[in-house]
Amino acid sequence: MTTFSRPHRRFRLNLAYFVLIPASLIALLPFLWMILGSFKTGREIRQIPPTFFPQEFTLGNYQRVLTDKDLPLGIFYRNSAIIALANVAQVLFTSSLFGYIFAKFEFKGKKALFWFILSLMMIPPQMTMIPGYLILAKLGLLNNLLGLILPAAVDAFGIFLFRQFALAIPNELLDAARVDGAGEFYIFRRIALPQMGPALATFGMLTFMFNWNAYLWPLIVLTEKNVRTLPIILTWFSNRMVGNDHLTMAASVLVILPVLIVFLFVQRWIVEGITLSGLKG
Amino acid sequence: MALSTWPGWQRLFSGRDSAKKRFVALAIIPLLLFMVFWTVFPLLWGSALAFFDYSPRRMGGFLGFGGDNPFVGLQNFQKMLYSSPDAPLEVQQFHTGVKTTLLFVTLVVPLNLLVTLPLAFMIESVNKRVKGIFRTLFFLPVLAPSVGVAIMWGYVFHPQRGLLNAILGGVTGKLVAINWTGDPSLVVAGIPVALFAVIVAYLWQDLGYNMVIFIAALQGIPQTIKDAALIDGANSWQLLTRIVIPLLMPTILLTAILTMISAFQVFDIVQVMTDGGPQGQTQVLLLHIYNYAFRYQKMGWAAAVSIVMFLMILSISLLQNRLLNTELEY
Repeated sequence: MTTFSRPHRRFRLNLAYFVLIPASLIALLPFLWMILGSFKTGREIRQIPPTFFPQEFTLGNYQRVLTDKDLPLGIFYRNSAIIALANVAQVLFTSSLFGYIFAKFEFKGKKALFWFILSLMMIPPQMTMIPGYLILAKLGLLNNLLGLILPAAVDAFGIFLFRQFALAIPNELLDAARVDGAGEFYIFRRIALPQMGPALATFGMLTFMFNWNAYLWPLIVLTEKNVRTLPIILTWFSNRMVGNDHLTMAASVLVILPVLIVFLFVQRWIVEGITLSGLKG
Repeated sequence: MALSTWPGWQRLFSGRDSAKKRFVALAIIPLLLFMVFWTVFPLLWGSALAFFDYSPRRMGGFLGFGGDNPFVGLQNFQKMLYSSPDAPLEVQQFHTGVKTTLLFVTLVVPLNLLVTLPLAFMIESVNKRVKGIFRTLFFLPVLAPSVGVAIMWGYVFHPQRGLLNAILGGVTGKLVAINWTGDPSLVVAGIPVALFAVIVAYLWQDLGYNMVIFIAALQGIPQTIKDAALIDGANSWQLLTRIVIPLLMPTILLTAILTMISAFQVFDIVQVMTDGGPQGQTQVLLLHIYNYAFRYQKMGWAAAVSIVMFLMILSISLLQNRLLNTELEY
């Protein structure tokens, strides 16, 4: 009789732990420094040399930030959410639709158009930054959330990515639906789109994160206070609060942490999106 | 004449595949219009701006051209070549911008790979159960807004209340008050310390990207290849240097180029941490463009610098395409 036993694994201490554990602690330090600082009193934060752990733990900074009439965080959260969600919705729609069309349909000039879109991926965004601003000014869309939504409706990389996914959809599936008399948009919506589910999740999360964290373009377009997004208001607040680090730290925690925790939970999709874009160019 | 009797319309919307054609046309025509309005037109307008002394504050003719915004031909580009010490301020700042950006990129790319590659190897080597924890910890800064990253690191480098000086003070037993991001006289090996500080914050946020790409690439190497090498008597060092790294080479090259392109366009962290200071030591090109276009309203000059920057990035992208065409199969 043969006995199958699990291969006996000798305990082998991996030297990597000696590097990884201290390195990850160092990597966390800036976060920790900010979070600890947000619980210190103003007197303690100005102390030289500084303390590491708060000696006198206080929630007062959060109370002051949350009741600061010049910093209605709810409005800025709303602005950021409107822009990010609208852009995710429209970019997912256009990317999946055009990716599907480029993968599954033949039409005149298709190749040229696809190469044109691919070449757009190579153009750095700052090339259209100045004229983009001038166009928005002419349309009266400066200091309007639409100014960050309208020009973002199409994403070249998204079209490229979804084309890759759509290529894998079997033609038989689409033709069967056509024989059954389904309309083309219905086929896209009900048959092709569900097949691209993983791409929707991955690219949707990635788009949301980029929009949520975006700085330069919102900084240019949104110069009036109440239309600003969270990253811009955070720098505005920290510039106004020079010397009051404890308040800026509390505001930073309130701006960064809630969504960072959400991102942590959907990390899998974001990592997948990054590796897709990194590995496949 | 009704539109439906026009021959082109007939060709488009009748015949065997009319439903397909209509679907494609209804989707592609808006796409074309969008591209023309939000990409082609801005690119042309932006390029044209570079040949004018343009400011949105002044009156001009069509699209703001002419009038008080005169055509200056290649003047903006010619100015960039002035090298005399009495060159106009924007030219001097442009030169610092190019130098700073190149310095930034040449430091960031190798430093990034020197950290992310070993990090990926180490994370792949540890127990499956803790692998995810380490990956998450190093990936966390990628998820944070770069503005927040810059503010956090500002408090690490703060001259009086910063964490770094506190640690150094604790180690040496003396009061340390180094102004890491604000003292222009601090220069090490020709590189301003402020630039190093910005690079540390930038790397800290950026490392996670390449790390997860390398981890995915490592997981993509078939176990059979590694097993074959081990059966042939290779030790783990040989496995790494003779098998794993050569197989990773295409990914390493690609990520190096992607890292280079994004480092060229650094803005957020620099603008928030130092705003180009001290004395322009961290004034990268995109910050120069932003300042001239939106702070000083000299958009003609800023557009010309944008074109130069675009050409620099384009040459890297073309290099990338060359490299991508040589694919490795296994």
